[in-house]
Amino acid sequence: MIINQLFPSGNDIPSTLINLVWLILFFSIILFFNQRIQIWMYQRNAEKATMKLQLLAEKSKEETLKNIQNFALENIDIKSQITSFLEFFTIEPVDKDPFGVLNRLEHILDSRRERIKLFISQIAPKAGKVEAANIEDIMEAAIALNFIFKIVRHFLLLGKKTKSLMIFIQLDMQLPLIMKIAEAYYKALKTFSSGKPIGDGLGPLVASRLMFGSPKQVIAEDIVCSEVNIENRKVYVIKAEGPGGVVGKPGEAVKRLVESFEGKVARIFMIDAASKLEGETTGEVVEGVGAAIGDPGPEKYKIEEVATKYKIPLDAIICKMDIEEALTTMKKEIAEAADLIVNKIKKAIIERTKEGDIVIVAGIGNTIGIAQ
Amino acid sequence: MNSNKNKFTLISILLVLGAFILFLLSSFIDQYSIINRIIMFIGLILLMTSWGIYFMGLKQIKPQITENVITVIACKNCDYREERPFIEGDYVLKELGSCKKCSGISYIHAIYLVPVKK
Repeated sequence: MIINQLFPSGNDIPSTLINLVWLILFFSIILFFNQRIQIWMYQRNAEKATMKLQLLAEKSKEETLKNIQNFALENIDIKSQITSFLEFFTIEPVDKDPFGVLNRLEHILDSRRERIKLFISQIAPKAGKVEAANIEDIMEAAIALNFIFKIVRHFLLLGKKTKSLMIFIQLDMQLPLIMKIAEAYYKALKTFSSGKPIGDGLGPLVASRLMFGSPKQVIAEDIVCSEVNIENRKVYVIKAEGPGGVVGKPGEAVKRLVESFEGKVARIFMIDAASKLEGETTGEVVEGVGAAIGDPGPEKYKIEEVATKYKIPLDAIICKMDIEEALTTMKKEIAEAADLIVNKIKKAIIERTKEGDIVIVAGIGNTIGIAQ
Repeated sequence: MNSNKNKFTLISILLVLGAFILFLLSSFIDQYSIINRIIMFIGLILLMTSWGIYFMGLKQIKPQITENVITVIACKNCDYREERPFIEGDYVLKELGSCKKCSGISYIHAIYLVPVKK
């Protein structure tokens, strides 16, 4: 009966009027509330993602605290110090005048690293070199997660404040990638705290296989070098000094090595993990040319500069993986790719250089869980 | 997981068919009668339920992946090889004392993840 009264079907005037009211109401909703409904839908998605990011940021903070507590002094309140340090930021150098921008960037990155190291030595004085390096990685992941959460929350609140559909649409479109990166950082944090090798450690793993059993020496910040003989070629293998989670300065190491031989280097081989495209297989090994290094710029620049100066060919061997695989525990496919790359390098050295030549092999990446 | 998704799809198709039959039936009944409206209303509910079930099926439950990290132990002298679960403090090229097979030094050759879906 109620349905009959609400939706009359008679041919009389009251029925027609009621139906007209329904029609006007329907079109009003479509015309005037269309954007509001869309905003509400996008906002709901963004709110859900922000809540998840907040949870990840809080969990990462707890995880960081738990890790540092093992090496902290008992009478110091590290919680407030860590909370405030998670806000640590780095201002990129001005690039309107690009002259010397990479030197300035390197200086700023050095300062950042030094500040983080100093902070860790203050709050975790009991940590050894390896543990301190791992805590540094944990801190970096926690800082990144905190930053992602704050940026997403900023745009959510900005969208709410301005009721701008465009802000919500842009945020919603980028959320799947943002969430993927955030989840990768969170998983990485867990891996760093247990000191397991990560996918990005492929380069150091290959280098460690090549320098296995040979004497090593430190040639640049956190970088070790070993001289290996491969079919009567002098091969200098470099990697970050493990098993702590460091990347070191491989660019500086390559530069110093080349300069020490006055440029008489036949070839430079670089091995690194590279981000794969969707559809590509994890652990796929691909060869190319150029400086295979994913640093912010200074290290890559040094290698390219010294290679260009002395006209040394740069060979790159990369192993494909996605961001999550690069930051979390090394997968079996990637570990197996390391053996494949070792064989490829040996073959390439024999094919592309002659006896008595000097060759440099640089294993680029984070060496957490990989010694030498 | 796929069979669950198929089940949801099948149920939603059956419900749509049911709604279609009801709508067809209502066309044979006087369109102003109350029975016709009740049939239409039930058909509508069936349609809405079918959509609900279909979208519920699309929401895939992520399989739980547990970390199964393996430490591969090898010997510097012989071809001895052993696999065991990762223990905190393990790292690649860590020396582990004498080999079980010969008197050589055993070391960690590799550490890798083998995902196990639950």
